[in-house]
Amino acid sequence: MVDVNMTLEMVEASQVGMKALAAAIAVGSTGIAAALAEMAIGSAAVGATAENKDVFGLVLLLTVIPETIVIFGLVVALLLIF
Amino acid sequence: MVAVKSVFAPYIYVCTRMRVRKAKLIPREEYMRMLNMSLPEITRIIQETQYKQEIDELSSVFSGIDLIEVALSWNLAKEYQKILEITPGNLKQFTQSYLRRWDIQNVLTILRGKMQGEKVGKIKEILVPAGSLDRVMLDRLLAEDSPEKIIDVLKGNRIYPVLSREYPVTKESGSFSRMENELYKQFFSEIIAEAESGLKGGKQFLDFIRFDIDIRNIKTLFRLRADTFEEDARDMYIAGGVFSAADFANLNTVRDQAEFIELLKAKIRNSLLISLLDELKSEKAIRDVESRLTRVQLEQMESLSKRNPFSIHPILVYLEKKKYEVFNLRALARGKESKLPSERIAEYLVV
Repeated sequence: MVDVNMTLEMVEASQVGMKALAAAIAVGSTGIAAALAEMAIGSAAVGATAENKDVFGLVLLLTVIPETIVIFGLVVALLLIF
Repeated sequence: MVAVKSVFAPYIYVCTRMRVRKAKLIPREEYMRMLNMSLPEITRIIQETQYKQEIDELSSVFSGIDLIEVALSWNLAKEYQKILEITPGNLKQFTQSYLRRWDIQNVLTILRGKMQGEKVGKIKEILVPAGSLDRVMLDRLLAEDSPEKIIDVLKGNRIYPVLSREYPVTKESGSFSRMENELYKQFFSEIIAEAESGLKGGKQFLDFIRFDIDIRNIKTLFRLRADTFEEDARDMYIAGGVFSAADFANLNTVRDQAEFIELLKAKIRNSLLISLLDELKSEKAIRDVESRLTRVQLEQMESLSKRNPFSIHPILVYLEKKKYEVFNLRALARGKESKLPSERIAEYLVV
């Protein structure tokens, strides 16, 4: 519903706020998703390393792969803000 | 989110460790190679695997077959205790329940050994302190002279009521089979009650127990068929699986092999077991039947562990496979010691 009493400044300020909110959601939700994915991979990685130390390098790489999700979120957030 | 994290991550950690450990078990090709080796060579090969520490520790005290026997038992017990240390929450409770079957085996080994006048050292070699009775408690039991005193020491333990109830009958008949049956019946009824108590992950544990009971009942039925003397089948029946007591008794009365297999198949829904039963229609040696049933059980457990990757199943698969690895190595060593031909030893291996 449009409020007819809103000034132009108020509309512009609201738009900036909405963008900031959208950027926050983009980074926040992808952060949570990456955390969940890394929790599972990290637990398995620590388990595998405890049994066989040679796999440390490989599992470290696998653990950070979900970081890409949060990087996508960050890129979207930056695009929204700038 | 916190709840998900605190329950889920340790399960993944432990199940992954079990999978890695399972992958480190001795493969089939290695057993085939060992079949053509002498006892010292087998000892050396075993020393190069997970049993190095035990062989090194014990080599100053034991040698030859005794060294392998004791090292395998020690390693198995150590491995089981280690797993108990790392399993979290309900998984720990279920693993403990599963391992309680070693209490029955250890107590019966001690009682049988004492009845037959075996030396304490000889009995101790084959004990696996993996259940709730630890090494100290087992030493206390071994120190007692008579079976009555051994049973008295166990006062307060879960198995004490059955032991004290069944001992007079055992003493009279000289056979522990009835006591053993009763102990296993009590064990299975207790772990079923535990799995059904509503604990998280109990359903998966129950799937394993039920299948274990089915396999045991089927093995018993095949054994009874192979037996020449008549026994009361109801004494050997274990409740909790797909067979009711009446089914079990009925199946035991069927003499024709093909008809027996058809009746068994009608009761079972597991596809692996059904295809095995089809193969068993022609008469086979009981040892062969038992080892094939064991293999089907392991295959079924393996498929359950893939269906439920973060449950009690991967742990149980590893525990069972480890047990059979120790059995296989023991059979290999014992077979070589007795100078049995390789083909004969291979029949006893579960690979």
